[in-house]
Amino acid sequence: MDLRDFEADNSVSCRLSSPVPDVCRTEDCCLGIDEAGRGPVLGPMVYGICFCPVSRKENLKNLKVADSKTLSEAERENLFLKLDKAKGFVGWALQILSPNTISTSMLQRVKYNLNALSHDAAIGLVQYALDCGVQLKEVFVDTVGPAEKYEEKLSQRFPGVKVTVRPKADSLFPIVSAASICAKVARDHAVKDWKFTEDLGRVDTDYGSGYPNDPKTKSWLLKYLDPVFGYPQFVRFSWSTAQTLLDSKAVPVHWDDDEEDGEKAAARQNNTSVLSYFSRSKPAGNTHTRETHRFFTERRLQSIDTL
Amino acid sequence: MTTKKKRSAHTSNDSWVVIAADSALDKTKLDDGDPTFIRLRNPATGAASQYLFSRGDVRLYEVKAFVEDFHSWFIDQTVQRDGRLLYVTPMDPLFLLLPYLQSGAVEGKFQPLQQIVMDEDYPGCTRMLKCTQALDTLQHVADEKVVGSQKFHRYSQEKTMDWLKKKVLNTVSALKKSDISVGGGVKSTTYVRVKQETDVTEEDYLRYAHGLISEYISEDLSKDLHKHLQLPEISSPKEVEPPSKKRKLSDKPVEAGEDYTKFNSADFARKPPKKMTAAQKTLAKVDKTGMKSMSSFFSPKVKQEIK
Repeated sequence: MDLRDFEADNSVSCRLSSPVPDVCRTEDCCLGIDEAGRGPVLGPMVYGICFCPVSRKENLKNLKVADSKTLSEAERENLFLKLDKAKGFVGWALQILSPNTISTSMLQRVKYNLNALSHDAAIGLVQYALDCGVQLKEVFVDTVGPAEKYEEKLSQRFPGVKVTVRPKADSLFPIVSAASICAKVARDHAVKDWKFTEDLGRVDTDYGSGYPNDPKTKSWLLKYLDPVFGYPQFVRFSWSTAQTLLDSKAVPVHWDDDEEDGEKAAARQNNTSVLSYFSRSKPAGNTHTRETHRFFTERRLQSIDTL
Repeated sequence: MTTKKKRSAHTSNDSWVVIAADSALDKTKLDDGDPTFIRLRNPATGAASQYLFSRGDVRLYEVKAFVEDFHSWFIDQTVQRDGRLLYVTPMDPLFLLLPYLQSGAVEGKFQPLQQIVMDEDYPGCTRMLKCTQALDTLQHVADEKVVGSQKFHRYSQEKTMDWLKKKVLNTVSALKKSDISVGGGVKSTTYVRVKQETDVTEEDYLRYAHGLISEYISEDLSKDLHKHLQLPEISSPKEVEPPSKKRKLSDKPVEAGEDYTKFNSADFARKPPKKMTAAQKTLAKVDKTGMKSMSSFFSPKVKQEIK
C-alpha cells in the first residue's frame, strides 16, 4: 500500500483511494465501512470503505476475506493484495485521521468528539463514492455508538441508499470485512514507519501495540514526554492516558477555557462575580479610590512597581 | 477528564520582553552610565511605579505592562512563563515633580529645587534634578526667581492648570488623530469597528482626555482640572444603587399585595380542625364573653378604629 501521500504531511487528515472500477458506475453496488485504530493512544485512526457490484458479492466471499481481527498481519497483507488485484470489480477508499487531527479536534474550544469525528469520516467516504459515480444501493456499517441512531443518521444523510448498521458487521458482511482489511493494513503501515516531524534523533520504535493498557506503550510515552511540549504528534493528546501522564509529569499549562470554580475564576480575572451583588459588603479589591482609566484597562495596560 | 490545575504564584523573571523607544536605549554617549530602571512615586496613586532614566538621566520614561491571563512567551529556545509585554514610553517628568512642588507650596516660599525634591521613600527622585527636560520646562508649573547664580521656585496653581489644560487639548488632538473611540458604547478594543462613530461630541473627547491626564496627577488636581475645563458633572451610573429593600412607613392603610381570598373559595376547603387535647377542650368550654381575642393585641390598627 502506497502511503506516501499521507507521509508527506502526517499532521493532517488524508484520503487514499483505488481507481473506481467501471462496473461500479453502471451496476447497483454495495458498500462496507469499517475503521481501524479507534482505541490506541498512538498513531492514526483509519476509516475504510470497500465497494463492489451487488451481483459480485459471491466473488468477494471466494477471496475469503474475514474480520481483520481474526487474521495475522501477514494474512491481512495477503488479502489486501488480493483485493487490490480484484480491481476489476472492487474499489476502496481510505480516510486517515492523523493523531494530530484527533487531538486538535477533541481538545479544541468547541469539542468535536471521537464519535462525531468517526461519523463524519464515514459520511465523507460514502459521499466520495457517490461523487465518483458509484451506483450505491446498500451500505453496511460496523457501528460506532448506538446502532439505531447511527443508522437513522446515515439513512437521512443518504436517501435512496439502504443503510444497515450492525455491531460486528465486519464478521457478518464480506464487504465490511474487506473494508476492515484495507483500514487495518493502512494503519499498520502508517504506525510501522511513522515519520516523526519532531527532531527526536533516533526514535525508539518499540512502542508496542499503541493501546493504553500495553506496558510497552506506557513506558514509551514516559520516555518521550517533554516537560514543556508533551509528546510528539504521533500521540493522541486527548487520550486520558496521555493527559494523566502530562498532568503528573509535565509543566502545568493553563488555557482560558480550563474549567475552574466560577467565583474563584472571576476573582482571578478581576471580575466581580454575580454573587457579590447580593451581599451587603463590597468586594475587597474595590477599595481603591480611583479606577484606572479605561484607555489602559481596555488595552490591559498597567503600571508596575517591580520588574 | 479535566483535572483541576493549580496556578502557582508568578515568580520574578530575570528577563523581560520590552518595547522601548530608541531614544531610551541611546548608546551614543559612553561616559554617562547605562539607562536604568528606577522606582519612583507614582503621582496619581502615591505608590511605587517603575520608570526608566535614559543614559545620563537626561530623559524620563514610564513603564507600562501589558498583562493578560493565559499568556507565555517562547523566546528562542526557552519558555518564559510571564506573558507580559513591557512598554517603555517617554514621559513628561513634570508630572513626577508636581507632587513635590505642590507639597512645598504650603509654605508659599521660593525654594531651591534641591530642597523641594526630597523623598525618604524614594531617594532616586533626586535624579530628576539632572533631567534637563524637566528643568527646562519648570516655568510651566512654577514661578521662578533668580538670585545670583541660584534659582528658586514656587508652585503656581494657575500656571499648572493652564499647563494641564494644554495637555488635555494636545491629548484630544492625539486621540482624534489615532482614531481612538472615546464614546460610551465601546467595551472592547478587539472588536473591529465597521461604522465610524458619528455621535461623538467634543465633550466626549475632553472628558476622555481629562481621564487620561488624570492618570498622571493627584486626585485633587484632577478635580481642579475638571472644573478648570468647565466640564459638566455627570453622576456615574455606578453610584446609582437599587432602592433599599426597606419600605418607608406611610400613613396610607396597608393593603395586601396578594389575593388571599382564593383560599376562601369552595374548592379550597379548609382542613378539618384537629382533635383537641383534654386541656384544650376544657379551655374551650370556658365562658369567653367580654374577652378580647389574643390576636387583637398584635394589631394596633384595629385598636384605633375602636376608639
